[in-house]
Amino acid sequence: MTPPDDGLFEELLAASASSHDGEGGEVYERRGTSLELAEDERGFHASVSTERGFAVRLFRAGRTSFAASGAGGARRLPAEARLLLARSRARRGVRELPAPEGALPPAPPGAPQRPDEIAARGLLVAFRRALASASDGAVLLAEAALTLGARTERIATTAGRDVSFGSAAATLVANVSARTGAGRASARVVAAAARPEELALARLAHHAVDRVLLPLKGRPLETGRYDLLLDPLVAAPVLARLARAFFGEDEDGLLGARTREGRDALASPALTLVDAAGAPGGLVRTTHDGEGTPQGRTIVLERGRLASRLTDAAAAHRLGTRPTGNAFRRAFSEPPAIGVTNFFADPSSGVPPLDLLRALARGFYAAVLLSRPQVEIAADRFRLHAAGYWVEKGRATDAVSETLVSGRLSSLLRGIEAVGDDLKFVTAAGGGAGSPTLFVPKWKG
Amino acid sequence: MRPPAAPTIPSLSDDVTVFREDAEDAVRIVSGMLRRGEGGEAFRERRRAISWSATEAGLQSPSIVEESGTAVRVSRGKDSLLVACDGDGAEPLRDAVREASRRAGGAPFFKSKAAGPRADDRGPSGPDEEGRATQIQAALARALPDPRGFSLTLAIARVTVSRAVVTARAFVPCGEATRLEATGVLRRPGSSRSFAFQSSAPFSAACDALAKALADATRPVPAHRAPEGKVDVVLSPEAASVFWHETVGHPLEAEGGERASVLARVPRAAVAPPGYFVTCDPTRRDLPGSYLADDEGTPARAVPLLDDGRVAGLLTDRRTAGGDSNGHGRCGDFRRPPRPRLSALIVSAGRASRDELLDACDAGLYVREISAGHTDAESGRFALFVESADLVRRGRLGAAVAPFLLTSDVLTALGGLWGEAGDVCAPASGLGLCVKRGEPLPVGGASPAILLRGLTAAPGRP
Repeated sequence: MTPPDDGLFEELLAASASSHDGEGGEVYERRGTSLELAEDERGFHASVSTERGFAVRLFRAGRTSFAASGAGGARRLPAEARLLLARSRARRGVRELPAPEGALPPAPPGAPQRPDEIAARGLLVAFRRALASASDGAVLLAEAALTLGARTERIATTAGRDVSFGSAAATLVANVSARTGAGRASARVVAAAARPEELALARLAHHAVDRVLLPLKGRPLETGRYDLLLDPLVAAPVLARLARAFFGEDEDGLLGARTREGRDALASPALTLVDAAGAPGGLVRTTHDGEGTPQGRTIVLERGRLASRLTDAAAAHRLGTRPTGNAFRRAFSEPPAIGVTNFFADPSSGVPPLDLLRALARGFYAAVLLSRPQVEIAADRFRLHAAGYWVEKGRATDAVSETLVSGRLSSLLRGIEAVGDDLKFVTAAGGGAGSPTLFVPKWKG
Repeated sequence: MRPPAAPTIPSLSDDVTVFREDAEDAVRIVSGMLRRGEGGEAFRERRRAISWSATEAGLQSPSIVEESGTAVRVSRGKDSLLVACDGDGAEPLRDAVREASRRAGGAPFFKSKAAGPRADDRGPSGPDEEGRATQIQAALARALPDPRGFSLTLAIARVTVSRAVVTARAFVPCGEATRLEATGVLRRPGSSRSFAFQSSAPFSAACDALAKALADATRPVPAHRAPEGKVDVVLSPEAASVFWHETVGHPLEAEGGERASVLARVPRAAVAPPGYFVTCDPTRRDLPGSYLADDEGTPARAVPLLDDGRVAGLLTDRRTAGGDSNGHGRCGDFRRPPRPRLSALIVSAGRASRDELLDACDAGLYVREISAGHTDAESGRFALFVESADLVRRGRLGAAVAPFLLTSDVLTALGGLWGEAGDVCAPASGLGLCVKRGEPLPVGGASPAILLRGLTAAPGRP
């Protein structure tokens, strides 16, 4: 159902060029296709969807305007954006982008490949088996939905930038429930990957089982002082909430205040935070960002100290640096904003997680989050509602149904003594967030 | 104590002209697509948003977005198929039907027709839009007369959504609704909070409401902490709607089987004191989330959920109730299949004044605003994030307290309702968009103040 290449993109680019001195334009096209297979007790549901959308941004003297629509209404976009441009306020650094250095001629955008439906059905069956095996039938799968998507994007500016690239994604969402003598619990668990074959089905099944059975079979843990071991699936959502602090210039002065303008460390030397579009196991695998800037690897926190920031073109211009390729377009209908690709704690200096477990003299291994973590950078506080296991001398002795791990965020980050080598990613902050197991000895709170 | 009559403030238009150009053709196409034993329909949506990024300094960059799409849905036995594509005219409908039929084993042939001129080609430059931008700017100025020491990052949008369903027999308009939305983050030194606002009121009234909500949200956070542990709570009318939404609305959405939720497992059981009537009413046009027909073309109708304190019904769509759907199949957008979702919950007023409720509470909390909540329908556990509340001491309002969390389980909380509700039924302030399974939908509510005994309070911000 994807229309042929009809020259609409070139037409829009030509219409975005203006005789006004200093005015420039950018045209963006996204073509996408997705397949969702969902299975529940009422039957089987398939959704097939195609998308073709355009966006035009115009720039003049620091002002910008944005107009977007599907292919049907695209021809009006340059005129609409031009009308809006006069009402915009100027901001330093906002401008159209020239061709990146060493840019290759763009590959033809083409249509994204249709997802493989037979392979998708196989994945659903495999997950159902993995869940049955992991729970011995104690956990019911109320619904499973697998979504496979692929898209191609093209960005060109009147200043000569012309880039096109493609990407794919796979997501499996499962609603599971368990009923025991202790009560009932249900949960929604998600796994995502850059390709369907990379979906970690067995890991998702084990996570689903822990998520619904631990709250039913364990005992609550009172707050106190103990060693803390955070599973990657608990630590990654927390790190994801930190990502925003590294976006663009530090307008709120938050990180500057927390680190006395960089003189103090923000975290322990064990922690290095990186954003990399091509990270192994990462959920995002793209070559360019939403402005057509080539993506690479950016270290934002090196051995606990601030190193750099994630930027789009405008923020980089204001900071006087090169853009890091972190302009993110959630949809064709949204203007690009700074976001993450794969934002993760570097596990290269990590040790096997079993070694970290053995290091727990008396502590709590947080295996699953029971609700979204609350992280407030401004107030320097965090709170995790988690379930897991009580560990003594490196061995799990009791299941913990729930506990609150809370306190100062800076204390948690500075208290990380070691990281594992088991980097895992979750969907977060518009991209992927990853962490290995984190070890925080003698945590109080 | 019956639900109050709906006021007549129009926010939903039944004049959905944008899809009528080819309505007869569309009905014929859908009728020809379906084979014996199959059910299905086509769904058309058009969404137009004119939005602004805003900071404490005022409006910054404008944008205009128009999206439209068509979905064709076919069900046969237990299986169903949805094919979605861009565009809402005759040709996208033919494309979607072709693809759906191809996947179902058929091969219909349609001649392509040139697309006709589109209706509603208004640009973003009219005096109306300029006037609206000025009104939003004025609302920001009223909310933040002195923005020193404060920063905000907001996206403010005026969104118009038109929807229609084409069945094998008729063209069914779902309605056209316009709302003002604002989402973003408000920051002070040492604290930040997210902000979400939505109003379906006429534009001027919506701007006034936005200014008030922003002004409330920018007040300094009280330092006084709420008591922890078991507590009696009076919920203001604005906050009570969120409570009903989480504890009665979601558990009675007929998803996941008849026994999947804590309330669905006890039909006709008395779960609340007599005198409480809760109705899900998508026909209340003054509230967000109203519609003429649901997204499967079933006419909207009010469904009693609690009748004199007893569980009275479930919210259903065609997948869960077949032809007996009570008109609550809703989808986030045309690419998603409809599911049973609630719209606006209306709770009958009682006879107690606010002072009588506070007297009965004696010692506890008076909750003014709940910003968010979630429920596990299976176990019945729920949590409400209280953004603004005052202490109650000896039946009188005391100091304002810092944000906190209220938790309990549905049956305990409903069982702990005081026998008499407040005497004024007012629309919700904390309801706007309800996100379930990642699909946001506008929802509303109207409720009197209520007194709940024995909820659990915990520190809300980490």
